[in-house]
Amino acid sequence: MQSSVMITSELLQQVGLPAVLEATHCRTPQGSRQKNAARVYGIDNKADLEQELEAVDNLVILIRKKHPHLVETTTQLARLRELRGTFSRLEHGTLLDDTEFFELKGALAIFSRLSKVVAVTEAAGVSFKDTSKAAKMLDPAGKKNPAFHIYSDYSTTLEDIRSRKSVLEKQISKSKGADRKTLLTRRAMVIDEEDKEEDRIRRELGIKLAESLPQMQHNAEACGLLDFRLAKAELAVRWNGCRPVLVSKTQPAILTYITHPLIATHLEKQGQEFTPISIEIRRGTTVLSGANMGGKSVALKTIFLGLLMAQLGYFPVCESLQTPLYDFFAFETSQDGDLYRGLSSFGLEAIKIRDHHRRSKTQNGLIIMDEPCRGTNPGEATAIVNALSKSYSASDCSLVIATHYPITPLEGIRFYQIRGIRPEALAQLPPLPEEPTAAEVDKHKRSVGISGLAQPEMKQDLTRVRRIQNMMDYRLEEIDGSHAVPSGAIKIAELLGVDEELLREMKTAWQEEQWQN
Amino acid sequence: MTDALTRETSANLLDLAGLGDLEALALIGLSKNAGKTTILNHIITAWHETGQTRPLALTSIGRDGETEDIVSGRAKPRIYIPTGTLIASAEGALQRSDALLEILELSNVRTAFGEVILCRALSDGYVELAGPSVSDEIEVITRLIRKHEPESLFIIDGALSRRSQAGSGGIEQIILAVSVGTSLVPDDLAEKTAHAVNLLQTPLIDEQKLQLLSAAIAENPQARGILLSKGNERTHYKAVQLPSLVGFGQEISKEIKKNTFLLFLGGAVTDHVVTELLKEAEFANLTLVVEDGTRLFLKPETMRRLKHRHVLLGTLNALNVCLVCLNPTHPNGQTLESTPFLVALRQKITTIPVIDLGPANR
Repeated sequence: MQSSVMITSELLQQVGLPAVLEATHCRTPQGSRQKNAARVYGIDNKADLEQELEAVDNLVILIRKKHPHLVETTTQLARLRELRGTFSRLEHGTLLDDTEFFELKGALAIFSRLSKVVAVTEAAGVSFKDTSKAAKMLDPAGKKNPAFHIYSDYSTTLEDIRSRKSVLEKQISKSKGADRKTLLTRRAMVIDEEDKEEDRIRRELGIKLAESLPQMQHNAEACGLLDFRLAKAELAVRWNGCRPVLVSKTQPAILTYITHPLIATHLEKQGQEFTPISIEIRRGTTVLSGANMGGKSVALKTIFLGLLMAQLGYFPVCESLQTPLYDFFAFETSQDGDLYRGLSSFGLEAIKIRDHHRRSKTQNGLIIMDEPCRGTNPGEATAIVNALSKSYSASDCSLVIATHYPITPLEGIRFYQIRGIRPEALAQLPPLPEEPTAAEVDKHKRSVGISGLAQPEMKQDLTRVRRIQNMMDYRLEEIDGSHAVPSGAIKIAELLGVDEELLREMKTAWQEEQWQN
Repeated sequence: MTDALTRETSANLLDLAGLGDLEALALIGLSKNAGKTTILNHIITAWHETGQTRPLALTSIGRDGETEDIVSGRAKPRIYIPTGTLIASAEGALQRSDALLEILELSNVRTAFGEVILCRALSDGYVELAGPSVSDEIEVITRLIRKHEPESLFIIDGALSRRSQAGSGGIEQIILAVSVGTSLVPDDLAEKTAHAVNLLQTPLIDEQKLQLLSAAIAENPQARGILLSKGNERTHYKAVQLPSLVGFGQEISKEIKKNTFLLFLGGAVTDHVVTELLKEAEFANLTLVVEDGTRLFLKPETMRRLKHRHVLLGTLNALNVCLVCLNPTHPNGQTLESTPFLVALRQKITTIPVIDLGPANR
């Protein structure tokens, strides 16, 4: 059984899986097809996944060593064309045309060449079947050149027809007027014979080639598999990925210094750096808290993408990663309410909560929730989030939940928080930092996205926001459950220049709230 | 008509057009049914008869060599090639060819008649040419042909112009086919042909302008219009993105400033486009540049108006008409006496040989 992934396509886009697939550069149509049909290996296919990871790992070693066989492999793969149509016509006994015979001849030469790059095929765990019998049929004179036509060697009848035609053509080239016309008519009659004999040969050739069809199909698929695995390995080298270790389902997932490759690239372009995170996800509930702007959503996406990549046979970008195989993956955020279809965001959330909960009774899944019940009244929201945490704490699933609401500590609930900005550092900051310097504003001018379009005043604000972001420590740390709900939002509002009168109101209200609790 | 005049010239076809040393040649018709295929058949015969050792490599832009003209339904001459000729033609067209063809390469260039395939003729025979539908893809075909037959004479039935790319410095050679279908009055036909030759041979812009413009095009490959203007110390350029030139003349003309010294337009430049530009008073004292001479579709009157404004014409790729061939058969089937037309044409066009090759021996 394969694992299923429950996530909306927009969210999947945000998590970054389509971009990972796009960055996997396959060279053959067969490889691209395998990539597009890529499966999330389930617990029943653990051995297959191990084999996949082993193959990618072996190829990574060859790439790092710049093994000479890789050049031949990639050259041959790049030449392979789509063969499904031709195979299907061969299977159904349809007459092939010369282009298709040419294509097959080319493919058979590729299979033969690839079967000789043993270092690569063995590393990739693919094997090629012998198709030399079919290759010989398409090269009856053994000329070993890639060109093709219906050779005279196929039949003495054809040979005879063509020599008669050739005599006529020589005469035609020396003739003019009426003689030429007569000769051309005679030639047309010989061509008629030639066409019939050629078609007879095409039919016969098709029948004989069909005998080798299973081997040819096997080899085409082997090329696809080799291509896809090689593309994964190339990506792993490019991104400095690490082979995941698969553990039993009772063991936790441990992610060490994991990076989100796409967000990291994006940040790099802006001259910033992604802070790798580390986390242990056991069965039960893991609560992630942290101040606003602390990068909770990015952390959740990084975790989800890393674990999903591992189960797709990819190398996540981390120092190390161990993971059990999940039966299903789910990622929810209350931000994706479908306003256009007029569905309330909580309505949708409730449905998802219901479905995942039902599924969790029989399957072990990785369920990630980014601030559930964000739009619900705080009292009820706290109750719902606590109930979810409690319910999953005793289940076989792993629920990772990012929330601002206080969660009551229980066995089976672990707490992580994003370090964020140390309160001391925050307190020491002047209420409204001086105007950003021209150089600071200028530095962000070149960055892409909203800031590129922003008005000058807005640019200053964005610069301030970035300044705060730069003080953030995005690392995760495990804490005990009796922690206070992270604060700092009012301080951030202050740093961004909210008027004093309003700030005073905020602070008073916050003090009253704390006093009541 | 094969009179004495034409028979003599037919034998000298290769010398007249200087084909012996050429790498590539394009056949361009002044109108439909101008006789391009007939010329191609004549070249093939002459090539064969003079015992040339280099092979010919043939393709067309779009479809040619069908037994019937798709537009008029009239019979069209087929192309009869000798053994050893390379052809690049679409799958569908190859199925209607009767020469024994060896497939050498699949080009990945797709047309309405299937993928363009490179073949070598292993016997003499008739072929139908249906090459790439856009001239950009000729580059792909050229590469494949050069890979298999680096020495061949590559003949393209149709314009070989490359879109928005400065030429390699070499001059593209052209044979221009004209038919009495364009005009039944000899002097009028001669006038129109001389005008067309003039437009096709619009000269290359000077090296300095070529460098500036090439750099601007490289940065804005999709731009329909590029304007070069003199600034205080250096040259500035402005790229204009438009879906087409037709109907957007104003979008370009409003960008023309007093100091604009060059306007490049990508695509066909017609009377209509120029009329739009002429409405702008600043459209004067500059060079109007096109990709090559085949992009200019301007009447003599329009040329006069441009001259009046001191607007010069220039190209990124120079073309050279090496031969003009007259087809005395009107599209309605009537064949006229060619001599008066040849006399009139030769009076008007003095630097390029003008001949009537007569019907091909096919």
